[in-house]
Amino acid sequence: MQPQQKFNFEQALKKVKDHFEFDLVALALVQPAKFRFVLKWEYILGNKSSRYRRIILQTGKGIAGNVFKTGKPMRMSDVESELSKKDFHNYPIIVSEALTSFGAIPLFKEGRVKGVLLVAFRDERIVTAELFEEFKQAIGSSFGPYIKEEMVEEI
Amino acid sequence: MIFEDFQLTNLLMKMYDNSAEAIFFFDQSKKVIAMNRSAEDILDTQVLKKMIQGDPKAICFACKGYTSESELKTCTACYFENYEKDFSSFQVYLETKGKGVIPYTASYQTIDPENGVRMFMLRDLTRQFETQKALQQNMMTKRVIQAQENERKRISRELHDSVAQEILSALVDLRVLKYMNVEEEVLKKVQHTEISLMRLLDDIRHLAVELRPATLDDLGLEAAFRTHFKWIEKNYGVVVNFQAGLKAKRYEDEVETVVYRVCQEAVFNALKYAETDEISVHVIEEEGKLKLTVEDSGVGFDELEGHSKGTGLGLYGMRERAELVGGTLIIQSEIGVGTSIRMQVPLD
Repeated sequence: MQPQQKFNFEQALKKVKDHFEFDLVALALVQPAKFRFVLKWEYILGNKSSRYRRIILQTGKGIAGNVFKTGKPMRMSDVESELSKKDFHNYPIIVSEALTSFGAIPLFKEGRVKGVLLVAFRDERIVTAELFEEFKQAIGSSFGPYIKEEMVEEI
Repeated sequence: MIFEDFQLTNLLMKMYDNSAEAIFFFDQSKKVIAMNRSAEDILDTQVLKKMIQGDPKAICFACKGYTSESELKTCTACYFENYEKDFSSFQVYLETKGKGVIPYTASYQTIDPENGVRMFMLRDLTRQFETQKALQQNMMTKRVIQAQENERKRISRELHDSVAQEILSALVDLRVLKYMNVEEEVLKKVQHTEISLMRLLDDIRHLAVELRPATLDDLGLEAAFRTHFKWIEKNYGVVVNFQAGLKAKRYEDEVETVVYRVCQEAVFNALKYAETDEISVHVIEEEGKLKLTVEDSGVGFDELEGHSKGTGLGLYGMRERAELVGGTLIIQSEIGVGTSIRMQVPLD
């Protein structure tokens, strides 16, 4: 692997947060081998609690888990109406950060999901389809070492 | 014991008047000679009228059949007609005033052979049936829960011992590839596969533990709790402060299961509804009892209104499980203060 200049995630996240005035931006990344490649929220800006630190994300569960598993973006305009009360606990970040509307995109590397980027509001503002699109445009094609779209590999 | 005649007559009269059992006397031609108050109370006015008029078939308007060896309600070889068969104790169904068809224990016997007078006595069986039904239901629930636990145990073992093992050996094989002479590109692909397999292995292990933790069967309550709470912390970010004061390493299988499941449910409820980051759990053995306390300082709920956010089935299920091992369960909650669940299971 080639040594590359270290990408400043925090700075990049802050830029996104400030530009769109999101209440929270968070980046979950697949951890290195010695942590058994688990997925964890690694960078987070605008958080109210540190509960996220304890959480190890599971494939297929919660926002990050879903995006990670499907490789598809996920968006909810209004968490309250789109999630049943009984399901809330399965989205710990929504509960602990009191999120009301969010969008999340997968980040790829070598054709695999390696990270999940989450942006969210916790007031009456809404991550609308248009805003989500705008956000995706602003990210561009790559975020640090990760790319936004899954590349179709030639077999 | 021999009593004076009049005393006995007196007692018999009192019994006839005040007994909860319905008593009828029929003469040879099956006409009613007398019936007590209880008997009048259970019969429909129409039937009663017919009886007083002396209709020998009056009883048939109320009778829905008796229980024979082959049928629950039958009229074959009717007790009323059949003098040969012994009808000193049998079960009969009667249509009663206001209460519908009710099962009775009946006895129909000749008390005066000379004049052919027969006595028909009825005892309400409803309460007895209800007790029996409750008992049966209790046994049933117990068996269903037992069966469920056994099945969970089986699947959990299967996942852990064979499926997970198989994946593990595949993983080992893959890792060996790293030390062989393979191209960089292939190696990268192999590593991806390795990561996927590792994740799959973790998932399967989680699934197995979620079904029924092997630690509960192999190492007992305390160990199982510790593993479970660690898992809760990792999954939901909620910290469980756990304290144990157990005198024995192992308890009866059933007791361990109940305590584990009730605690699991209680912690899960706190996690779902209490809106708190911390839950405290205590398990102690004291005065020959196993005591479990699950507390949180969360939002609480109105005990009278019940569980507005959930189905309420969880609380019911916990109580049900506690009762299976003769335990008691107390749920206390106050809005803004928190919730506590205390269970005591007697050990013997």
